[in-house]
Amino acid sequence: MKGARQQHRHQPFHSILAALSVDLLIQILERVDDPRDRKAWRLVCRDFLRAEALHRRALRVLRLEALPGLLRRYAACLDLLDLSACPGLGDHALATALFAGAGSWLLKSVSLSRASGVGWRGLAALAAACPRLESVDLSHCVGVGDREAAALAAAEGLRMLRLDKCLRVTDVGLAKLAVGCPALENLRIKWCLEISDIGIELLAKKCRDLRVLDISYLKITNSSVKSISSLGKLEVLSMVGCSNIDDEGLQFLNNGSNSLRSIDVSRCDNVTASGLTSVIEGHMCLQKLNVGDCFPELAPLFLSKLNGLKDSLTVLILDGFQVSASSLKIIGVNCKNLSEIGLSKCKWVTDEGISELVAGCVNLMSIDLTCCRMLTDKALMAIGEQNKKLVCLRLESCSLMTDKGLEHIGTGCPNLEEIDLTDCPITDTAMKYLSRCSELMILKLGLCDKISSEGLVHIASNCQNLCELDLYRCIEVTDDGLAAIATGCSKLQKLNLCYCTQITDQGMKHLSCLEDLRDLELRGLHHVTSLGVTSIAIGCRRLTELDLKRCNLVDNVGLCALAQYTGNLRQINISYCPVSSMGLCKLLGTLKCLQDVKLVHLTHVPVERLELALRAYGGQLKKLKLFIGLRDLLSPWLIQMLQARRCRIRWVDKPLVFSP
Amino acid sequence: MDPKQMPTFEACSSMSSQSRNLNQNQRATEFDARETEQSLPKFSSHLDNSFHQSNQAQQVAMNWDPRAVLNSLDILGQKIHQIQDIVRSTLSNERQLSIQPNEFAAQQQLINTDLTCTIIELISTAGALLPLIKNALASGINSPGQIGGVANSASDLDLVDVLRQNDNLLSDGTKDSEYEELIKGLSDWDDEGMKPISTEDIDVKDNEDGVSGENLPLGSYEVLQLEKEEILAPHTHFCAICGKGFKRDANLRMHMRGHGDEYKSPSALAKPSKEGSSEPVPIKRYSCPFIGCKRNKEHKNFQPLKTILCVKNHYKRSHCDKSYTCRRCNSKKFSVMADLKTHEKHCGSNKWLCSCGTTFSRKDKLFGHIALFQGHTPALSMDEVKSQGMSVQGQSDEVMAKEEDIDYLISGNVIEDTNFSGLKGADDDLGYFSSMNFDSFTFGGIDGLQQPSFDTSESLFSFHK
Repeated sequence: MKGARQQHRHQPFHSILAALSVDLLIQILERVDDPRDRKAWRLVCRDFLRAEALHRRALRVLRLEALPGLLRRYAACLDLLDLSACPGLGDHALATALFAGAGSWLLKSVSLSRASGVGWRGLAALAAACPRLESVDLSHCVGVGDREAAALAAAEGLRMLRLDKCLRVTDVGLAKLAVGCPALENLRIKWCLEISDIGIELLAKKCRDLRVLDISYLKITNSSVKSISSLGKLEVLSMVGCSNIDDEGLQFLNNGSNSLRSIDVSRCDNVTASGLTSVIEGHMCLQKLNVGDCFPELAPLFLSKLNGLKDSLTVLILDGFQVSASSLKIIGVNCKNLSEIGLSKCKWVTDEGISELVAGCVNLMSIDLTCCRMLTDKALMAIGEQNKKLVCLRLESCSLMTDKGLEHIGTGCPNLEEIDLTDCPITDTAMKYLSRCSELMILKLGLCDKISSEGLVHIASNCQNLCELDLYRCIEVTDDGLAAIATGCSKLQKLNLCYCTQITDQGMKHLSCLEDLRDLELRGLHHVTSLGVTSIAIGCRRLTELDLKRCNLVDNVGLCALAQYTGNLRQINISYCPVSSMGLCKLLGTLKCLQDVKLVHLTHVPVERLELALRAYGGQLKKLKLFIGLRDLLSPWLIQMLQARRCRIRWVDKPLVFSP
Repeated sequence: MDPKQMPTFEACSSMSSQSRNLNQNQRATEFDARETEQSLPKFSSHLDNSFHQSNQAQQVAMNWDPRAVLNSLDILGQKIHQIQDIVRSTLSNERQLSIQPNEFAAQQQLINTDLTCTIIELISTAGALLPLIKNALASGINSPGQIGGVANSASDLDLVDVLRQNDNLLSDGTKDSEYEELIKGLSDWDDEGMKPISTEDIDVKDNEDGVSGENLPLGSYEVLQLEKEEILAPHTHFCAICGKGFKRDANLRMHMRGHGDEYKSPSALAKPSKEGSSEPVPIKRYSCPFIGCKRNKEHKNFQPLKTILCVKNHYKRSHCDKSYTCRRCNSKKFSVMADLKTHEKHCGSNKWLCSCGTTFSRKDKLFGHIALFQGHTPALSMDEVKSQGMSVQGQSDEVMAKEEDIDYLISGNVIEDTNFSGLKGADDDLGYFSSMNFDSFTFGGIDGLQQPSFDTSESLFSFHK
């Protein structure tokens, strides 16, 4: 308050602080949730900006060049710093940025996911600058190895660490972390393929507080499970695809000394029903059980053991099993509290079985029936009648479903948020029924070629929260449908319009009012011209992913507009587009955030110009897709330079064919 | 000549001839087999076809079976015929003037050899006829101490005399001494074979410095002390003709073959005999010449060294500079080559380093150490310094070392093998009496089995005659 008053004295007399002190402003700000409104707040005046800076706890940096300025403003109070969108971030940039707030960092959580430029020096600077660091995300930084792990191990208070796909981390790096960060509670080392039993054993000895452990796809054996079983506080264990682990290993978990709540053994080929039975016996409080793609048949013993988990079990994933009606009945009887069941790609799932299941499990919120091809409307009727709380329903490739079945869903499940109807023979009538679900957020209608604009109008009329819509190959959809969606579903973030060939520039113009749109796929729209792309670029400033493959009328003008307006664009596919070297140079020369660029068969771009454009690019390319014929035409040292900057080039060996 | 030694010899010869696919029909009699079992039980397993016979033969021995005696007499008849044939062939050779003198001498030598062997067999078979000797032998085996006494029995001496007379008759006089020596050598060998140390000494490395398992009372053995120069001399056996030095007597004998045919005779190739076979050989122990060393006989807690090799290794390790440096780490030094080889096998494998500086050869050992001590962490490996090239080199080194080891440990056998093949080649070239050749191999075989892998003779510097 005192500070505020001192500030007050220096303010001009008409300052808003005369009426509202900073803390009051902050209290008001707390009630503003929408990021767009917050942006508007920041733009009011300096005092509002300062109040927002004092209030802000989390920061996600979209563009690297803004980082120093942002940190200067927000360094003092920040808890969470997300740098995952800055692949070009290097050790030096990170160290400099951290220097801006030297001594006063309160950072607790830093995300460097996919920031593959950060090495051990940057991490050492991070650990030194942020004494309160608790959580670090280094997932998908494939270059991270033992040295980086050792640098990070200096952060003693680390509780959560994600190292998914840090391919070079070995047992030594893990040992460094285990010794340096004994307070670790949440560790994910999925895909760290160099880690072996020895490392896991040491981890289990040193980090006794581990609660969440993900060791998926590691080449570890039963002895690792034995050491893990000694972790008394372990609650979530994920070991997907550990094919060296078998029933014997799972029996180690049954030692009564850990409080396992969730276990994921999907894709563990050598695990059978007897191993799972022993796990269930040892953990009567198990809440989540994922046994997808382990063994083909559900043994009766396993099903009967589920009875012991009657009260606790909430999630059961049985992907890829042979599940008969009787098995589903047993599950329905035994697991009353089940909230999520996965029956994806299960054989022998019938209407009768689903009816028995939902009759028992009335609290189901998520049902995955992908590829259960025997199901008909009767199953949907049963679901609609029993599961009033249903939130997520996946019916991909259930080719016997009709509109009638969805009527029951529309009427019976008002809370539905996500439905996947890909490749189901439904029509606009079904959309009418679904539009009753006003909470709908994700709607997938790919390959439903009977859906037309009329159906979209129904959806747009009531589903205001829709944020993801998939209309892949819905060839009946026209510009009018898009107009309805653009007005009715203003929160749309992801839209797939690939091969909806009737769509023209007019439709693009309608879409340009979707400010939140981030991911747009326009593959094969041969009525869309640069004009349409320009209107998208001007309207959808947040666009990060754009697919223009085979848009035969999009040329330089469209690319120039994208270069000018969509500064956050990260992925772009302009393969087969009739763009020339000028547009390409402009695009690559201007956009600094591009990470993934696909440039196959740009017939209007000469090789030397393509080379120039690639050389002109100043950002951090991670993936580049080119026609294989260019491999010998591009100068070898350009390719070397790209690879040295951690860019992976995919050479495509497809002949140039102009599709209709 | 001591007839009861003959069966033992037969056993060895039959064993070696079996393994070398030679004709042994003339020799593998029941008596031989039986004696084999009694005198050298450890060889009996080799005699796969005679083992069964030996059981029968033993029963025969217990109740003096006249059929067996008859059988033996038949064999004796055969042998005598053989000797006649040999002598006749000698005569016929003498008549052929076309043959070169050198060649003639060589042939004669071979004939003599065959003759000798046949006569030895004759004696052995004849000796087996006497029940008295058999019983004496059987009891003698059980208590080696009695051997000397038995060897002096009248019948034995008679047989030896007969043999000598035969020698004198059949040979042309010049080879007398050689045959005597050969026979003496055989008897000597047998005495040596009865000594309990022979097999132990082959395993050199195990009891190199140590006599830990041995607690001989002070006066019960003879203490020998070699001088420093003797210990450090690279060669202990020298060729009298060209002066070349050898580490082993056997190698010298192999070398001598190149100096002339007279060195190719079985007697020349046999192990040099020792005099005084009758009295029991005292146990020998060795003292280190370094004054003040515990291994020196002046020391109050003197612990003797068991063999010459022990002396050599001890002296080099304890009292010499360490001149062999490991080529990999350049820090470890050794005075004995074998120690360096052993070290080099493992050098560089301690690549797992803890932050406390301790190194480990295996990752799990390092991690066990880290789990045990608070705050210790694994040190980051020196990146890709230890690349594949290093390991490949390591492997080749290891192979090399392994070969060396084999050479080192079983060199005695290796040498005997070459000895054998060399002899065979010489005989085949001449092509006489090939059916009798096995006997000449036999000497090699016996030597190979009974000779320690290094020479234990008192004088390290011996010159071949």
